[in-house]
Amino acid sequence: MNELAWIGIGAVILAFLIAVLIMVYYYNRIRVLSNRIDNAWSQIDVQLKKRADLVPNLVETVKGYMEHERGAIELVTKSREKILGAGTRQERLEGERELTGALRSLFALSENYPQLRASENFKLLQEQLDGIESKIAYARQFYNDSVLAYNNVITTIPGSWFAGGRTPHEYLRISEEEREPVKVQF
Amino acid sequence: MSKLSFFDEISRNKRDSLILAVVVLLVLGALAYVIAQLLFARYTALFFVTALAFILPYIYGTYTYGDQVVLSAANAVPADPQRNAYLVNTVEGLSIAAGIPPPKAYIIENDEINAFATGKDPQHASIAVTTGALQHLRRDELEGVVGHEISHIRNYDTRFMTAVAVMVGLVTILSHGLLRSFWFAGSGRRSERDRDRVGILIVVGMILAIVAPVVVRLVQLAVSRRRELLADSSSAELTRYPEGLASALEKILKMNKGKMDVSEGMSHLFFVDPNKHPLDSLFATHPPLEKRIQILRSM
Repeated sequence: MNELAWIGIGAVILAFLIAVLIMVYYYNRIRVLSNRIDNAWSQIDVQLKKRADLVPNLVETVKGYMEHERGAIELVTKSREKILGAGTRQERLEGERELTGALRSLFALSENYPQLRASENFKLLQEQLDGIESKIAYARQFYNDSVLAYNNVITTIPGSWFAGGRTPHEYLRISEEEREPVKVQF
Repeated sequence: MSKLSFFDEISRNKRDSLILAVVVLLVLGALAYVIAQLLFARYTALFFVTALAFILPYIYGTYTYGDQVVLSAANAVPADPQRNAYLVNTVEGLSIAAGIPPPKAYIIENDEINAFATGKDPQHASIAVTTGALQHLRRDELEGVVGHEISHIRNYDTRFMTAVAVMVGLVTILSHGLLRSFWFAGSGRRSERDRDRVGILIVVGMILAIVAPVVVRLVQLAVSRRRELLADSSSAELTRYPEGLASALEKILKMNKGKMDVSEGMSHLFFVDPNKHPLDSLFATHPPLEKRIQILRSM
């Protein structure tokens, strides 16, 4: 064999190796980004659970002071029960939405009870709840950022060549009423 | 969106750290050589080995435990998850937004509004905030400040800054050592030729000892100012609300007196310069507050 043939064979092998490397890179990249979406979802879940777990403590603290607001307190407890007993994701989301609203009105009503608002326990609960609400918002934002990164890779060339029939993920959208931040301080 | 550019920033920071480390090591080598020639002309090799035996553990130690040193030098104490829930929640929230593990939160007892981040990577990071900031800043303002620090961590600025602080410290120490060794170099009996050699060495050494710390410091400052602006815009991307950070900076402009009593070697770590300088632009670790506010407001 002459030199040219060797060079040709070498070039073919090199091109093949580069192609394999690119494939491995994109395969892993898509996997990593897809895992990040799963992780981002579980982050939201963790925060929602923490919020539901605060409810019994909150009810316990508030009960003594807000005797005339039984209805509002009950709404909070009920929406938590709905979340805990939810069978489908749809039910769960509905429960979370109800809890958001119930908590908001409970805290709005608490304005009328200065003694309650002055108690250390209530202040701490309020801060925890504020914190969790903003963590939920940030976790959603990170979820959507992760979805964006993933969708960008699998829908643009060359990533789309390696996507293997994967379809873009859905973004999390929030309803209009939820868009307003839970303002418990006035 | 700018996701890709963050990866660029991160690899650029890692590369910058490496270049800086090599340059500073060369400067250190030159300093050490001159000292060796002045003091122990016959045992230069031995001196080098001994010096390395001290310097390498020092570099490793400060790189690994530098965050602890910085935190204790700033009198930062760990935040209590109950009493400082406000801060701990904010730090956790923004770390979720940035997709990094939550850094440890610390508190500095001080009336000025300020904060800093440290740690060699996002897994070993800490954020310290002054009590003044917790008192005076609203939630959206505090989120802006914490977002700025979280960005420093995610972009590996904190690693770079730790490396820089270690290197600047070493150069300063050796320059002092060099200036000191002139004292001993002059003494003792020497031959005519020896005296000439020592004369040249002293001149070279003088220049090195004076120039090296200044050059290293200027590099540190230029890099620091660029990274501050980047962290501001990253913070706005995390909170999706540049106005929070802008109004925090405005409060700082009004309230801070620039008297935090922080050593010069650490001032570049902070959110805003803890000390006020007369020679502002060239030796400033941070861009002017007015400029940072203006950039945020134009986003």
